[in-house]
Amino acid sequence: MNIHNTDQIEINGVIVTADPSQRPALVDGCDTVPKLFAKRCVQMGDETAHREKDLGIWRAYSWKDYWTHAKWIGLGLRALGLERGEVVSILSEDRKEWLYADMGIQAVGGIASGVYTTDSASQLEYLLRDSDSRFLFVENDEQLDKFLEIEDRAPQVLKVIIFEKEGLHDLRHEKCVFIDDLYDTGRAFEAENHGFFEAEIEKSQPGDTGLLIYTSGTTGMPKGAMLSQENVIAAMVSGAHALPTLPGDEQLCFLPLCHILERDVSVYYPLAGKSVVNFAESPETVFDNLQEVSPSHFTAVPRVWEKIYSRVLVLAQEATPIGRLAFRMAVSAGLKRADYQLARKPVPPLVALHYMVWDFLVLRNLRRMLGMDRMRRGGTGAAPISPELIRWYWAIGVQLLEGYGMTENTGIASINLPDDNKLGTVGKAVPGFRVRIAGDGEIQTHGLNNFQGYWRNNEKTAETFTEDGWLRTGDVGKLDEDGFLTITGRLKDIIITAGGKNITPAEIESRLKFSHYVSDAVVIGDARKYLTCLIMIDQENVEKFAQDRKVPFSDFASLCAAQEVVDLIRKEVEAVNNDFARVEQIKDFRLINVLLTAEDEELTATMKLKRSFVEKKHAALIEEMY
Amino acid sequence: MSKTVLEVKNLESFYGPIMAIRGASLKVEKGQVVTVLGANGAGKSTLLKTISGIMDPEKGQVIFEGEEIQGKEPHSIVRRGIVHVPEGREVFPLLTVDENLSLGAYTRGDKAEIEKDREMVFEYFPILAERRGQEAGTLSGGQQQMLAIGRGLMLRPKIMLLDEPSLGLSPLLVQEIFAILKRLNTDEGVTMMLVEQNAKVALDLADMGYVMEIGRIVMDGTADRLMESEDIKAFYLGHQEVGARGERRWKRKKTWR
Repeated sequence: MNIHNTDQIEINGVIVTADPSQRPALVDGCDTVPKLFAKRCVQMGDETAHREKDLGIWRAYSWKDYWTHAKWIGLGLRALGLERGEVVSILSEDRKEWLYADMGIQAVGGIASGVYTTDSASQLEYLLRDSDSRFLFVENDEQLDKFLEIEDRAPQVLKVIIFEKEGLHDLRHEKCVFIDDLYDTGRAFEAENHGFFEAEIEKSQPGDTGLLIYTSGTTGMPKGAMLSQENVIAAMVSGAHALPTLPGDEQLCFLPLCHILERDVSVYYPLAGKSVVNFAESPETVFDNLQEVSPSHFTAVPRVWEKIYSRVLVLAQEATPIGRLAFRMAVSAGLKRADYQLARKPVPPLVALHYMVWDFLVLRNLRRMLGMDRMRRGGTGAAPISPELIRWYWAIGVQLLEGYGMTENTGIASINLPDDNKLGTVGKAVPGFRVRIAGDGEIQTHGLNNFQGYWRNNEKTAETFTEDGWLRTGDVGKLDEDGFLTITGRLKDIIITAGGKNITPAEIESRLKFSHYVSDAVVIGDARKYLTCLIMIDQENVEKFAQDRKVPFSDFASLCAAQEVVDLIRKEVEAVNNDFARVEQIKDFRLINVLLTAEDEELTATMKLKRSFVEKKHAALIEEMY
Repeated sequence: MSKTVLEVKNLESFYGPIMAIRGASLKVEKGQVVTVLGANGAGKSTLLKTISGIMDPEKGQVIFEGEEIQGKEPHSIVRRGIVHVPEGREVFPLLTVDENLSLGAYTRGDKAEIEKDREMVFEYFPILAERRGQEAGTLSGGQQQMLAIGRGLMLRPKIMLLDEPSLGLSPLLVQEIFAILKRLNTDEGVTMMLVEQNAKVALDLADMGYVMEIGRIVMDGTADRLMESEDIKAFYLGHQEVGARGERRWKRKKTWR
């Protein structure tokens, strides 16, 4: 491997570029992911890389397993006809094979593209055609059926590789093979072409495209963002500087790996930091798995942090009066300490002592119950989170840090640090990365994390970069005098009312979402006389409210229709209105009375409401308000 | 508008730490058949048990003829005219058919009327008349189910709670029993609340339906409306869309609309 003539520093046992803004971006002397992967697997050998639950028991899989399986996959694909620079799609829930495939594909020069398991057959068709995928990995029969439905419209797919055999024993299809067959093909290919895999890895260059990530696309068709090897290595370097990962750290992987956030956190950072990744059994069991794994750091979207908080509150309410009192006092002692910490002031000894007592009596038990007793750091991103919620987590002894990034800058642009944190902001730009605010308020970023462009879409790529080569994030925000970034909304979502006033709906929406009763909201008012809003209520919390008030309801629709619930939400809306100028106030609202899940087209895979879709689908509700 | 016989409001029931019913509300009007559908573990039986007083709710009310009855003892609830025909029949196996029926009328004192009702039961279930001296434990499953329903009728109930009367019976027997339930409802005006997994027969019989899932009511409406719902068709009536392979082992994730 080439040793470049730049300054390198060692962080937690990993040698990275000292100034991450400078080329070449290196992690332990490697300038591409496959090279680092090869190096790590040799280094770590029989040590545990992954854990997966099998029939209720956590089983460990080593770095050696990681290497051999990725190798067989890579070689198998090449044997079946994959060329360098071609795309392979992966349609599966998180599991170790997802990572094996990711590494195998990239090692032999392919481009890995993830597909959400919640996508429909027609969405799969679009992604396969747009990316011109040669191969498709599918998890099981359910995902396979999506392909079979559209197979004649995606003829360029040479083979489909299936992870799970269950229910498919009598499958006879010329294009379908099981993962074990692919391993065999790879093994046979290796026997004849010894050293081929290693040679392919050596061929990888920082400028090669390594992954294709389709942006969730709250508007229009998804676009494939191309991330180069250098982008990913640069993100690892920035990550190593900002988010210390120690060898042997435990992590829990549960968000979709197609999303850049989980991909960074569960695939690439562990490659740099040598941590152990545990795969949650399913999205429904995350809280149990969290408790079992008790990770060293845990990165999640705000929804998950909110859910955990709600659970604790419900539990606390059902405790004995003494238990409730103790919990209240413990949290209040924690909040006092948190306020000093968050203001970056030294904690007075008395406050610290007070906290220690309550920590001993209550909080450490609470953390153990939640699976947060070993947690050095919690991370949140991908959507706005309430500063109050972050404060609460600090109070119970969990350092929750908000960060910001997007696919187009490899998922990491800015982050708060444990000792350099400003509540309500998304932190300072990560080392080596620059952030600026353009004249129209748009946040623009510059650095080695900035992506290569959109797959086969030069027009969109050109639109995304400024003339001087900065990335237009499409987000609107502010930078304060200390360099902390605050996000206020999306540029294209800006509403211009009939009165000619520009309004960033996200600001109002995220304030609404901070209410425990509101799960998501879409503000409407483009070219209208005043603002209105469609609100999706939080089922559990509103149900609890209805139960406590003895408001009868049967299904979700009747819950939404209950006058008390409407009044409750009206109060929440009015509270938010108080903080905004008259023109920015919401005059009327309607509740979306269908309980939406990720399978519904109104939601993105990360459970955000799609503005354009919602506006179309609920046009009648909207018209009612005008 | 007819009269509401039974109303359940915001009911919550627990099995130890497990919340089996998470806030269910529903209504049964006089002369109606209301069915509650749902898979195993949805909380349907718990709902009936909570109404009939076998279980006490944590929160919420059960209102019967305008009076709150939640948490009352089962015997006092039976006296009010609520009969629970439990899952799996539960007839007294060592007593004869006749004795089982007599026990159904245990709370009544009007001998002559009881005998009239016994004749009515025998009229609806002639097979029971044939076997009146036989020990109930020796009856077939279908006959035991008939006996359990007959025993319930002996109370002249104001409402009958039926817990999966189709359980473990052949399709033919299920048809027969549901036909009799239908006649009981139309001819005798018996109000029923029917918990079922067999959505087809239940919706054919019922006026109104509720769908339960993990302790929540996720859908409600008239039986006709539920019959037409795509989700009900897919999940309960077996109208599975068939995939390209011609078979399908997995289920579409549910959104009730």
